[in-house]
Amino acid sequence: MDEVKKMVSTSELDPGFKSDVLAHPDARGLNACFSCGACSAGCPIHEVFPDYSPKKLAKMVRLGMKKEVLNSPYIWYCATCCNCVEHCPQNVKFFDILNVLKNMAAKGGYAPAAWVEQTKHVMETGIVFAQEDSWVKKREVLSLRPLKEYVDKMRKIVEKTGIDKIKPRVNSK
Amino acid sequence: MSKYALFLGCTTPVKVPQYELASRWVCEYFGIELIDVEEFTCCGINQVNLRVEAGLLMAAMNLALAEAKGLDILTLCAACTGALAEAIEKLKDETIRNSVNEKLRDSGLEYKGKTKVRHISRVLYEEIGTEKIKREIKKDLSALRVAPHYGCHYLRPKSAFENFEEPDNPRTLHGLISATGAQPVGYEALNLCCGGKVSPVSEDLSRALVQKKLDNLANKEVDAMVLQCQTCYLMYSDQQKEVNKEYGNQYNLPVILYPQLLGLALGANPVKDLALNLHNISPETILSKVI
Repeated sequence: MDEVKKMVSTSELDPGFKSDVLAHPDARGLNACFSCGACSAGCPIHEVFPDYSPKKLAKMVRLGMKKEVLNSPYIWYCATCCNCVEHCPQNVKFFDILNVLKNMAAKGGYAPAAWVEQTKHVMETGIVFAQEDSWVKKREVLSLRPLKEYVDKMRKIVEKTGIDKIKPRVNSK
Repeated sequence: MSKYALFLGCTTPVKVPQYELASRWVCEYFGIELIDVEEFTCCGINQVNLRVEAGLLMAAMNLALAEAKGLDILTLCAACTGALAEAIEKLKDETIRNSVNEKLRDSGLEYKGKTKVRHISRVLYEEIGTEKIKREIKKDLSALRVAPHYGCHYLRPKSAFENFEEPDNPRTLHGLISATGAQPVGYEALNLCCGGKVSPVSEDLSRALVQKKLDNLANKEVDAMVLQCQTCYLMYSDQQKEVNKEYGNQYNLPVILYPQLLGLALGANPVKDLALNLHNISPETILSKVI
């Protein structure tokens, strides 16, 4: 992310990036952002790690800093608390915009391995974990009903989006 | 009485089954019938990271499964609640709903928009009510001072929850705790996120959030944290030791789920009905104050 700290060079900007993002209905609100920073002010991650800033990311998108945004590990640092959505005076849903950015980054090969791995588990077990024998026993002890895996229907539906084909970012967690 | 499709989510049934056990006990006590839908899968909340459409389809599929049985959904996890409620919002748009249903059709499913989602705490608050809960209390919990923690997706985005809570000043869990006789304690970091959703990508960040909350609670003389989401539970309970190591703390704050607190007040057996013996951090101090 060092490059972001440098001056922005206009020759390296992608003027079409903002339109690409706005093309997704979930990112529609981005144009209403006037950079007041209410999103960053209420963001718990920004508080403990100031380099992560919703306001800054929104600005970067509007400037066309495609490479810097999509390649940045920071776009994956959102804790999804949605304070940014709740506090925005312009009704910009930054949380939804960030998901659009993450989706674009994933398509470009920048998905964190943790999320790719989790999707793999979902496709196999129906939940975000790989099967473990210890669960069965734990539930038996508590007389809770045994869990069954019905994943065929879900897999068939979800595969239509191509999510199972996404590859993790190389050399990342 | 009321009847719901029980949406267990991914984590509760396999990692925090004590939450499921206590929730089933409390619902049975108040005559809330829970129907298990075996084909329910993950709500899709984390899949939106990679493909928003995939997350929406998963939520819609689960909603359609409950709708086929003519049931609303009762959730335990705050995140599932948020994911399903947000999907319901999105699916109010006819174009989006039609396109989603087109993909569900092959599997014999359709979501028409009838099935709604409610978190167990909301059902207790709105359908049973704190007055009725108070009338049922068998044990004296008045010596207990507990810190409520709501879970972000129980509150936000507000628009997905018919504005039933004010996210910056939430009240329902406070009211539910008071109804048991225990004292909900006020603290500055009430609305601080547990960091659970960032933990797969950065444990440093999630632990920094856990540390902030525990640090804020350190001088508040609380006996326990009371939660309503198993992901928040895993962060504050299982991660507490890790955070202690990393930040040099000595915290040993018990963390329990609201149905366990309510169960205690209603006279449930702490082990057999609430599985309070399964906690990493012993809730002995809580039990010693229940008279």
